[in-house]
Amino acid sequence: MFQFFESARIAMAALWSNKLRSILTLVGMIIGVATIIAIVSLITGMNQFVSAEIQSLGATTFIVDREGIITSDDQWWESRKRKRLTVEDMDAIEGACQGCEMVGGRAITMRQVKRGNRHVDDVFIMGSTANFPLIVDFEIEKGYYPTESDYEHRRPVAFVGYDIIDNLFPGVSHIGGTIKIGGQEYTVVGNGVRRGSKLGQSHDNYVIIPLTTFEKQFGSRRSLDIFVKGRDYETLAATKDEVRVVMRARHKLRYDQEDDFGMYSAADIQSMWENFSRGAFVVMIGISSIALVVGGIVIMNIMLVSVTERTREIGIRKAIGARRMSIMTQFLSESLTLSVVGGAIGILVGVLGGAALSSMSGIPMGVEIWSVLAGILVSGGVGTLFGVYPAMKAARLDPIEALRYE
Amino acid sequence: MDEMLIKTDNLWKTYKMGTEEVHALRGVSIGIDKGDYVAIMGPSGSGKSTLMNLIGCLDTPTQGTYELNGRQVAHMNDDELALVRNKEIGFVFQTFNLLPRATALHNVELPLIYNGTGAETRLDMAKRALEMVDLSDRMTHRPNQLSGGQRQRVAIARALVNNPSLILADEPTGNLDSKTGEEIMALFDRLHRAGNTIILVTHEHDVARYADRILHIRDGQVEREEVVQRSAA
Repeated sequence: MFQFFESARIAMAALWSNKLRSILTLVGMIIGVATIIAIVSLITGMNQFVSAEIQSLGATTFIVDREGIITSDDQWWESRKRKRLTVEDMDAIEGACQGCEMVGGRAITMRQVKRGNRHVDDVFIMGSTANFPLIVDFEIEKGYYPTESDYEHRRPVAFVGYDIIDNLFPGVSHIGGTIKIGGQEYTVVGNGVRRGSKLGQSHDNYVIIPLTTFEKQFGSRRSLDIFVKGRDYETLAATKDEVRVVMRARHKLRYDQEDDFGMYSAADIQSMWENFSRGAFVVMIGISSIALVVGGIVIMNIMLVSVTERTREIGIRKAIGARRMSIMTQFLSESLTLSVVGGAIGILVGVLGGAALSSMSGIPMGVEIWSVLAGILVSGGVGTLFGVYPAMKAARLDPIEALRYE
Repeated sequence: MDEMLIKTDNLWKTYKMGTEEVHALRGVSIGIDKGDYVAIMGPSGSGKSTLMNLIGCLDTPTQGTYELNGRQVAHMNDDELALVRNKEIGFVFQTFNLLPRATALHNVELPLIYNGTGAETRLDMAKRALEMVDLSDRMTHRPNQLSGGQRQRVAIARALVNNPSLILADEPTGNLDSKTGEEIMALFDRLHRAGNTIILVTHEHDVARYADRILHIRDGQVEREEVVQRSAA
């Protein structure tokens, strides 16, 4: 044990006295570990983000829409030709579905929102049913969400996000105030809690109005997203089937035709994301493995140089009684120290690089302890593995030859 | 003190140079008692370095037996020899052979590290050895901050630190000026009087005369043995 610390100390001193050489030696290791850390952190961050987003959907809720989960261009073009989902579809599902606790819907558009001479561009305008906040996890801060009665009477009432309040109602109360969307006046009746921005996008840049009001102003050509909340998780599959049967009947599909609508739950989105991130993960592990192997070879090379340079020292140590194992331990702990220092720098670079990427792209980031430990372990393992050959070479030197070495 | 420390019987060492066999040693039989001060002398190529390597357990003979402090060492493997070197032998080299980046104290500690002596004991023993060679005030110096004579004294302290049964010095004054060389030889004298067994390998008769006995080596054999007359020294 003492020998290890001793060797580690010697290795650190040697590293320090050859700074440029050390940095060049460790570049491969640093890149390898940094890549692992950065990618794992970003994917972890995305995972946390995605699952937080998905959890707001709830485990028993699923979405019926025209496109479904799209994973290719072709699918997207094909989905464009499909029938729109309508309020009638939504009502039909609600009427026929035994397993459905609640059925809601929404339509979306992007518009400019004005108040006097102030305006906010590209606001996310959503027409929804009154039960929407009960289906998805949506927190109301002040006032109320457009009600069933607002829906029935197509009232021009609006529930707004903080971007609207901050930009259109600076220093004035917004409840009861008036905003204009495409020339139509809306009365603000409530607002959601501040959600901040994620992935570089503000999540407060929205106005929610009753779906009926939405269709009155913007027409009903848009396809609805129908949100279905099942009664319980165990019967979710059966509930989905009920909804599927209703939709297929309404779209007059033959038994051999595929669904021309999509249905997906939080779990489906999650598993799609996991597939994607697993793929990205494997690719990045591949890339960083190459960097690590290159790093290991460079370390082996530098250790061979070190063994040659210090042949005489090895001779001295052997003459005064160092056994093969002691010499082996010494050089192995040097390559281990070297590579772990590289790994530590790599972790630092990875975390900083990940943070920089995250702040540029808005992708959240979560540094996982296990990835840091893995970084240390992997770099240490590489250093040990590639240090074995030079260390064995050192241990096998003949003391007489080594002492004679100039 | 006439207890036998070293006993070699018909030592041969043969090297293969291509197809030719070179006999560096041709049947050397010597005996050295505990407390002896013996010089091994001979011109270069005489085989004295080979003999020193064998006595120092750095190498094993092709033929013959070697008993060191009651143990047969002729057929030991690398690691066993390392143990014997660590326990029984203190080396002093012509070129000092100190670790350049380590302090004097650390250089002296080194043999103790390899036999697993605890840190505190080690430090005490190393300090005591440095005191013995009058270097208590240079413990934290590195070799390049020391003069040649001081470096050699650090090397001697390193040789002494483990209380070996034998101090093996190979041309210890070869890299020193004559005055410093004399000081080093005086130090060996002192160590001898304190009871240490010393073997001195040299090609200089003036240096060899510090010993009690000189073994003249020529062509791989002991040519003759000379007992040094104290009055002449």
